[in-house]
Amino acid sequence: MNNNNHSASGPLTPAEVAFLCEAQSVTIIPRQRLDGLDLIGGYIPPFHPPQRTTIPLWLALLLKRQRRCNIVPPPWLSAPNIERILKTETENQNLFCPDLPYRWLETAELLLEGCPDDLGGDDGELRVLLRGLREVRQGKVREGLGKLEATYLQMNNLGLLEITEVRGFAKGVVDGLRKIGASTGVGLVLGWMMMISRWGWCFISMVFWTG
Amino acid sequence: MDIDDLLQELDDNKVLGGTRDINDLTQSWIAERTAPEILPFQTALLERLMERIRQQIELVETQTGNLDPKTNFCLILLQTELERVKFLVRGYLRARIHKIDKYSIYILTTPSIRGRLSPPELSYLKSHLGLLNSHFLASFLRRFPEQLRRLDDKAGGISMVEEPDLDGAVFCKVVRDIEDNIARIPGTDSEFKLTKGDVYVVRYSAVREFVLRGEIELI
Repeated sequence: MNNNNHSASGPLTPAEVAFLCEAQSVTIIPRQRLDGLDLIGGYIPPFHPPQRTTIPLWLALLLKRQRRCNIVPPPWLSAPNIERILKTETENQNLFCPDLPYRWLETAELLLEGCPDDLGGDDGELRVLLRGLREVRQGKVREGLGKLEATYLQMNNLGLLEITEVRGFAKGVVDGLRKIGASTGVGLVLGWMMMISRWGWCFISMVFWTG
Repeated sequence: MDIDDLLQELDDNKVLGGTRDINDLTQSWIAERTAPEILPFQTALLERLMERIRQQIELVETQTGNLDPKTNFCLILLQTELERVKFLVRGYLRARIHKIDKYSIYILTTPSIRGRLSPPELSYLKSHLGLLNSHFLASFLRRFPEQLRRLDDKAGGISMVEEPDLDGAVFCKVVRDIEDNIARIPGTDSEFKLTKGDVYVVRYSAVREFVLRGEIELI
């Protein structure tokens, strides 16, 4: 039941984050006419090529795979823009650039995989820049975790997938520090008493069990 | 404004409603997955969506006989979306059932939390707990002395009832402007300001009230 892609408990897995990402809207240029669709998540108006229209990303990727449309990449996903953001990120060590959308990493991955030919020429360059950007930001996240406090931690402008990556570690640290804080003084005494009483209980039940 | 405009407006409302419902369900699913405790069941939301799913399945069933390739393609799209929505609904319900199984005695004995369950969830909880109880009793508990058979034993200063760790760390995002925007961390003297758009890692108990009021979303 608990494989990596799908689980019933705990925070979202990267695969589920990608699933959520597919629900956001994207602009396409349809290549075929299509009648309006009454979906549960909203009405999709009819396509009149080559008029642009906005539809959910999962639908766009499906149509793209069947060569029924072209996807217009979001304005932030272009080599010059990513290069600019990468430069800002490298120059300011204490800042996460606010110009990236919340789901930037997932969206870029999905689009690079689903429609590399729609991303305006050289997608190899874009891939390199995105990887660079991701590494710079990851480095900052790791540095930030070093300053983690027991009470709270602010993580503004971080993408959802980036949060998913550090979440297990950050949660472990915050929870662990809390427990250490609680086990000083009175907490420590109580903890010992609880431990003793637990073992005492086990001992008594063992006596009954064997007797 | 004539009748067409009115109809159009009605349609718009319906459309926006659908999108909003899906967004709400997505958010409820994420919140249920990340919050340590079980959250109130979204009765009205689930009713609306289940009705829509039923309608959509009906549509697919009546149209499947149609051999026109164009209709066929539209049906594939409808079914793809249907599967996505069903995945969300299942994810939401499964996340809840996981917590119901884990904290069953705690939920059953705390009236304020018990009220958060839907009627089917409550009857599931009771029958599941009953089955577990009789299974444990039949397989080993009956060999125990009388006073050690209870599953909700609190003797010896330690409770057997597992309770959610409300101090567990959660990731959250402030989604609305909040008037009284200072969050205090219980048991400590530290506090922090909540500004719209902020993302925090903090213990759940500090933001619990804001989450239940919908001012902070768990992520």
